[in-house]
Amino acid sequence: MKLALYFTFPYPSRVAFDKFINRTLLLNYEYVELGIPTEHPYYDGPIVRRTHGKAMEEFSMKLLEDTVHMIREKGKKVYALAYCNLFENDPDGFMSSMEDAGFDGLILPDLLTDYYSIRKDIASSVSSHGLELIPFFNSTTPDASINEILQLTNSWVYFGLQPSTGIRVPLDIPSMYSRIRNLCGEREIIVGFGINSAGTIKELRKIGFDGIAVGSAFVNSMENDDQVAFDLQIKMLESETHG
Amino acid sequence: MYKYNHFIPLSMYGVKNKDIIPEQWYNITPDLPEPLSPPRDHDPERSSIDLLNRILPLEVLKQEFTSRRYEKIPDEILRQYEQAGRPTPLIRARNLESFLNFTGKIFYKYEGATVTGSHKINAAIPQAYYAAQEGVTEVATETGAGQWGTATALAASLNGIKSKIFMVNVSFRQKPLRKRIIEIYGGNVVASPSTLTDYGRQILKKEPEHPGTLGIAISEAVQYTLDNNIRYLMGSVENSVITFQSIIGQEAQKQLEIEGEEPDVLIGCVGGGSNFSGFVFPFMKTDVEMIASAASEVPKFSKGKYRYDLIDTAGILPQLKMISLGADYVPPPIYSGGLRYHGAAPALSMLVNNGRIRTDEVTEEKSMEAMQIFARTQGIVPAPESAHAIATAIDYCRNHENQGKTVVLNVSGHGLLDLSIFGD
Repeated sequence: MKLALYFTFPYPSRVAFDKFINRTLLLNYEYVELGIPTEHPYYDGPIVRRTHGKAMEEFSMKLLEDTVHMIREKGKKVYALAYCNLFENDPDGFMSSMEDAGFDGLILPDLLTDYYSIRKDIASSVSSHGLELIPFFNSTTPDASINEILQLTNSWVYFGLQPSTGIRVPLDIPSMYSRIRNLCGEREIIVGFGINSAGTIKELRKIGFDGIAVGSAFVNSMENDDQVAFDLQIKMLESETHG
Repeated sequence: MYKYNHFIPLSMYGVKNKDIIPEQWYNITPDLPEPLSPPRDHDPERSSIDLLNRILPLEVLKQEFTSRRYEKIPDEILRQYEQAGRPTPLIRARNLESFLNFTGKIFYKYEGATVTGSHKINAAIPQAYYAAQEGVTEVATETGAGQWGTATALAASLNGIKSKIFMVNVSFRQKPLRKRIIEIYGGNVVASPSTLTDYGRQILKKEPEHPGTLGIAISEAVQYTLDNNIRYLMGSVENSVITFQSIIGQEAQKQLEIEGEEPDVLIGCVGGGSNFSGFVFPFMKTDVEMIASAASEVPKFSKGKYRYDLIDTAGILPQLKMISLGADYVPPPIYSGGLRYHGAAPALSMLVNNGRIRTDEVTEEKSMEAMQIFARTQGIVPAPESAHAIATAIDYCRNHENQGKTVVLNVSGHGLLDLSIFGD
């Protein structure tokens, strides 16, 4: 099972971010998602929401480029997770900067909701800059919209399990999986939002998901500069997905 | 269940209730033309979505976020539906056709035939059932016109639990009989704003005679739920409620099929959107015309904006993207309390916004006229809310007089407890 780690960049500070990301680079996982900080991370829960404000204060493009380069050197793919509200006035300019930073692709959690009317323009702008658009949708996305975004893209799929990051409401996950798998065929499905325990990962693996994305679970340990707790969490994730 | 034109039970034609009542609810979400914008938190410090775990019965919450197109209705709920008067009749309004010199056909689905007199029981029974199954002993809710409060009180009693009903103050004063029937069904009803919650007390301190709004009553019911660790039942707007109400449209489909009829237009009234959406969504895959009728005095369709807004005035629940006049909008005290809500269900709002569903707005005066026409032709006194749909249907028929159209409208409730609209 594949593993994607999410970090809001550069939270909690440039120095601390570097320290924590370096602790992960020799571990066995596939993808890194770097959250580009925004004032309005609408679909994140309170834990990830609070990382954006602080990261905005420390954000710099130069540091982002260096970080992406460093992660890619370790053989991991790096994706920018960005809200479309960051670039609604200049999508091309934003895509250029993401291309220059060296990202493999983009995950846009609000593309199919708040920016639905311009989804094709944005998808085309992403690919014109040589970036992969990772289709992101959740359980309430209609079949027709899922089919369309799958046709516009070729990469793995990001399925948002819960309505928001870091929270858990009761869901009928096997039924959700069965519907999404039917729509996605052989495409790799990475599931994220609300995944924070070994038990949940085991369940998702058994159901058939190809990978998981985790972010909120280690925000507290980064915030408290608790390297021991951070290492334990990351190693648990590595072991549950690759063990 | 009756044969449309002359009130002969369909059982005499070999059609049984179970042939009409669907065994599954229909959830439109996977069939929508574009994705629904998800609920949003508005307080950066906390997750109002996570808080739903403490507010709603878990099975209801699960259905709120489900992608399943069809959800099996548990046998016990089917039994309670039948005891509550389902299926409701679909009746051909021949007298109204004659009155209007209409060359087409008019049918009405009569939700007033349920034991509580409106469609609201369709959503109250499953929520009360799921709450009771989860060991909850009391539920709370709000009510505008009183129909939802009545349905909640009965559904709670049928499932062996208590109910606390926050009734919008102006309706509480206008409709003493509603209060009485809620109490007869076993509910405990209070005027909102009330002294039972912090939020209610704050409002009463500023304005002791505040008329109340549905947004305030929802806030109080949710606050009371959290304060007392009970569960809250939702009357409209939310996806799961719309799904529960799909029983109306699914029954109508079967009834029309039995008669060999295909509708040209479906018409219903809209407060939060539950009866209208439950009625029309099962027909969405056809090209039938759909018209949502609201109150001119609460002009959500002509003056509202499609945006994220609060469901409740206090902002305890998540924001939803919907057509809204603003959560702090205080509507005029029109008699149709069920149409006073500031917003409309997200899926309905989307379909209005993209033009799939047309809208109309009807004045209270015109709806009262429609109420009388319907009473004098069909013998049924409709609820003032439903009379808006009837007024829209009458206009439609007058504008399409010789086109042979088949009009189907949903009469969401009776108005026998609303007669003071015509004066004391």
